[in-house]
Amino acid sequence: MSNVAPANPLEMLAYNIALEIEDDQIVYVGTGLPMVGAMLAKLTHAPNITMVYESGGQDPIAGDMPWSVGCPFTFRKSPMSMEMSISFGQSAIGYVDIAFQGGAQIDMYGNVNTSVIGEYGEGLKAILPGSGGGNDIGSLTQKSVLVGLMTPDRFPAKVDFVTTPGWLDGGDSRVKAGLMGGPTAVVTQVGVFDFEPESKRMRIKSLNPGMTVEIAQMCAAFELLVPDNVKVADAPSDEVLTILREQVDPRKVFIKMPGM
Amino acid sequence: MGYRYITDDQYNRLVDFKGAREYHLKKDRAKKDKRMSLSEAVGQFVQDGDILAETGFSYVRSPIQSYFEIIRQGKKNLVSIGSPMSNTSYLMSLGLVNAIHLSYIGVEMRGNDKNFARAIKTGMAEIVSIWSHGAMGLGFKAAQLGTPFVASKQLLGSDMIKQNPYIKVIDNPLNTKEDPVCLIPALFPDVCIIHVQRADRFGNAVIEGPAINDIALAAACRKVIITAERIVPEMTIRDASDAAIPFWYVDAVVDLPYGALPGCMPGYYYWSREWWEWLVRICTPKQEAVEEFFQEWVHETKDQYEFIDKLGGIRFIDHARRLMEAAQANIDDSQVSFAYQEVIPKRD
Repeated sequence: MSNVAPANPLEMLAYNIALEIEDDQIVYVGTGLPMVGAMLAKLTHAPNITMVYESGGQDPIAGDMPWSVGCPFTFRKSPMSMEMSISFGQSAIGYVDIAFQGGAQIDMYGNVNTSVIGEYGEGLKAILPGSGGGNDIGSLTQKSVLVGLMTPDRFPAKVDFVTTPGWLDGGDSRVKAGLMGGPTAVVTQVGVFDFEPESKRMRIKSLNPGMTVEIAQMCAAFELLVPDNVKVADAPSDEVLTILREQVDPRKVFIKMPGM
Repeated sequence: MGYRYITDDQYNRLVDFKGAREYHLKKDRAKKDKRMSLSEAVGQFVQDGDILAETGFSYVRSPIQSYFEIIRQGKKNLVSIGSPMSNTSYLMSLGLVNAIHLSYIGVEMRGNDKNFARAIKTGMAEIVSIWSHGAMGLGFKAAQLGTPFVASKQLLGSDMIKQNPYIKVIDNPLNTKEDPVCLIPALFPDVCIIHVQRADRFGNAVIEGPAINDIALAAACRKVIITAERIVPEMTIRDASDAAIPFWYVDAVVDLPYGALPGCMPGYYYWSREWWEWLVRICTPKQEAVEEFFQEWVHETKDQYEFIDKLGGIRFIDHARRLMEAAQANIDDSQVSFAYQEVIPKRD
């Protein structure tokens, strides 16, 4: 018997984020779980990735967990930093491979809402922070990976407001809008999802250990596409879990379950 | 236009290329000692009704002590812009800013900003236009480049297009194939305050670490106040040839050590995370709590030195310096701990 406790849902999420990253890539990182996932990737299967940040930090050396996207850890001994508009520009001209982002709502075509629940004006229910760099990253980067805790509220059929376009209305609507790249995966506590190539609808790619298609479906307010063979994701090895817990986030800022 | 607060003049001035040019043409060109106190600089160059651009990155190299001086002086009817613009949150709930061009007002992983939500919901302030960081940054950059607009690949397909009356989607006229682009106008706010590591008495200013939008904003804004951790001899800047902002853009220079507190300043000090947690988690849900908080930390605090005294004096500032040195890998990490006591140990 292993004496390493199995992954909790947040650790599983971080692990699945890490697996989306391939070695040698330039990775646009935010804070929170994507940062944890990227750092885990770098310490395991992808040691040669380069991390870049919207606030301008480029290729920092490793350090503690940033408190903000602008934290000094995002430009720790960086050879250089870029002005913000130029930092986004490099996504547009093809120098960034993969980016991560979360949102209050993610819909069946991977559109993301970080602006408003309901609508601005009379129908206002909740005000969210706004786009920040989310729209830029999602509009310009070749591959974007969406990250979120999956509930029917957070995964509606259609977002209340498209802050960051995913595949818009599906099919070729994103390309027709003039956008580049697009979301390739959605990582949640339930598993990993991708988008069916023709319709661009969200599809189950793999489920985390213990999860079922029924559970996944109960966590979304729209019908998930289900492939013929639903893969079950491998749990992280004891070695990977130990790196995650002892090196990546030793203070458990992001990988500790709330209330535990 | 159907807006409640912003005037036609404030609305139009943001994109008034010719107006900004005329203003810049009339600015005093003399290379002279522009040093003055913070209260003089804010009193003279931040006027009621100005479009104020936030600089730095919310709480990294941001002129927060200068925003506090704006609060003390009770400026009003300000329009706010910036990417990001998280300090606008409390400027709205204290009634100084009543119209915003929104990119992002929030506290990242610490959840939604209830100040901001309340100000909009109760009608204390209105959102005039909505942007992404990059799109707004391109607007400032266009101003710096001296071009009336740029064509971007951002914002296309998003609902921000419908909430931003300044931008326009067209088919790229230089491309024979279908190629939608989003036209973003050059943006010219009235005033910005930029906190830098060092500047000379004339206004030549050096930025260490990410410049965010500040180099573009210094060019775009009609009025520019530089506050600096250190005023250095002009020859220091000439030797290194590393100024990011030239003196002729600058109206006032303020010697303002600790001017970014309670935010952090690369090369100098880490931020007071506890102060932000207190504001965000304890105070922002209630209007009265926010007012009391700023009464204590701004109105009843004369300057940055009294502010440091309230944070813990020499022990606080020494720890903040060591944390920054460790964060920048200039001292051994094991000398300090980045752990700290969260006010409420919970993420929402």
